[in-house]
Amino acid sequence: MRADESGPVTDLQAAPDGILAARAASGDAEAFDALLRRHTRIVRAYVYRIVGTLSETDDVVQDAFLTAWRQLSTLRDPGAVKAWLMKIASREAYAHLRRRPAHDTLDGFDRAAEAGLLPEAAAIRNAQLQALSLALDALPEAQRRCWLLREVGSLSYTEIAEEMNLPLSTVRGNLSRARASITIQMAGWR
Amino acid sequence: MALDCGKTIDEISEYLDSGRSPYDPEIETCPDCLNALDALERAGRLSRDLIAADAAQLPEPSESWFDGVMTAVRAELRAGRSIPLSHPDPRVSMSVTEGAVQALIRASGDAIDGVFIGHSRIVGDVEVPEAPIAVDITASVAWGESLPAAAGAVRQAVSEALAQHTELNITAVDVTVEDLHRPFPSKDTA
Repeated sequence: MRADESGPVTDLQAAPDGILAARAASGDAEAFDALLRRHTRIVRAYVYRIVGTLSETDDVVQDAFLTAWRQLSTLRDPGAVKAWLMKIASREAYAHLRRRPAHDTLDGFDRAAEAGLLPEAAAIRNAQLQALSLALDALPEAQRRCWLLREVGSLSYTEIAEEMNLPLSTVRGNLSRARASITIQMAGWR
Repeated sequence: MALDCGKTIDEISEYLDSGRSPYDPEIETCPDCLNALDALERAGRLSRDLIAADAAQLPEPSESWFDGVMTAVRAELRAGRSIPLSHPDPRVSMSVTEGAVQALIRASGDAIDGVFIGHSRIVGDVEVPEAPIAVDITASVAWGESLPAAAGAVRQAVSEALAQHTELNITAVDVTVEDLHRPFPSKDTA
C-alpha cells in the first residue's frame, strides 16, 4: 500500500515549523527534509562562526541534523524546532572543537572573518549590525563565545558551562561583562 | 556596572532572562532601566540577525550534502510495529507496518483543504487483531477555515481511510488543532 501514489502531493514547503517537526517525529522523512532545507543556511552560518572553515562546517552540520533526527522524540515544543536545532548544532560544534588538535587555537570567529567569506565588521552596510559586530569583535574570546551560545544558540547557562567546560559562576560573569560592554557600545542607537 | 538609577546591568539582564516576570514596577517605570532592557533585547535580536546576514553570504551546501543527510536519515527510519492483515489461506501471513499506516493517516488528513497533519500516534495493541485502537492526531488549519469543520473533516477522512486499508478496530480518532497557518493557494491541481 503506497499512500503517496494517488492525489496531489502535500506541499510541505508551506507548512509551519511545528507541523514539520511533529510529522518528522512521527516518522515522516519528507517533513524532515523540508526542515533541513529551511534551516540549513542559518545553522551553517552559526557553526561556521564557531569552527571557522567550510569543510568542518559541512561535517558538523550534517552530524547535527542526524542527531536531531534521532532525538526528535525528545522535542517537547515542535514549534521551537529552530532554536532546538541551533542548540544541537552548538553541542556538535563544541564537541568538534574539543577533538581538534590542541595547537590549533585560532578562534572560529576570527578564522571566519580572515578567510574572506564573511565581511569584516567595518564593511557591514547595516549600521546597527555593524555596531554589534564591532562590539563583538572587541570582546575577549570567552565572553564572545558565551554571548553567541546564549543569544544565537539558545543554550541555558548550565548548558554553556558544560560546553565550554567552565564553572557556572564564570559563565554568569562572562555574560554579564559581555552584556555590559555591548550595551554601552550599542547605547548610541535608538 | 550600574545605571544612573542605581540598578546594575546584571539585575536588568536577569530580569530580561526571566521573561520580565514577575512584573517589577521599579524597573518597569524607570526610564534608565527601560532603556537598558530595550538595548539588551535589541542586542540579542541583532546577534541573531548578524548570523542571518552571514547565512546569505556563505555558499550553499551542495545537493550531495543534502543527499548525504537524507540517505542517513532514511536508513534509520523505524518501520514500527507490524499490523496483521487477514488472509483466507492460513499459511499466508500479511502485515502492514505502523509507519505505512501513519503515512496513510497523514495523506488522508492533508487532502482536506487548508489542513496540514502534524503529529500522529496509533494507541493500542495493534499486533492483536480486533484490539481497540485509538488514533491521536494534531493538525494546523489555515486562517479563515472553521476549526470544528476542519477537525471533523479530518476525523472522517482518516476513519474512512483506515477502514478501507486496514482491519484495525478503530474506537476513536482524536483531532487536536494545535496551530494556525496563513492560507496558501488551493492545493488542488488542474
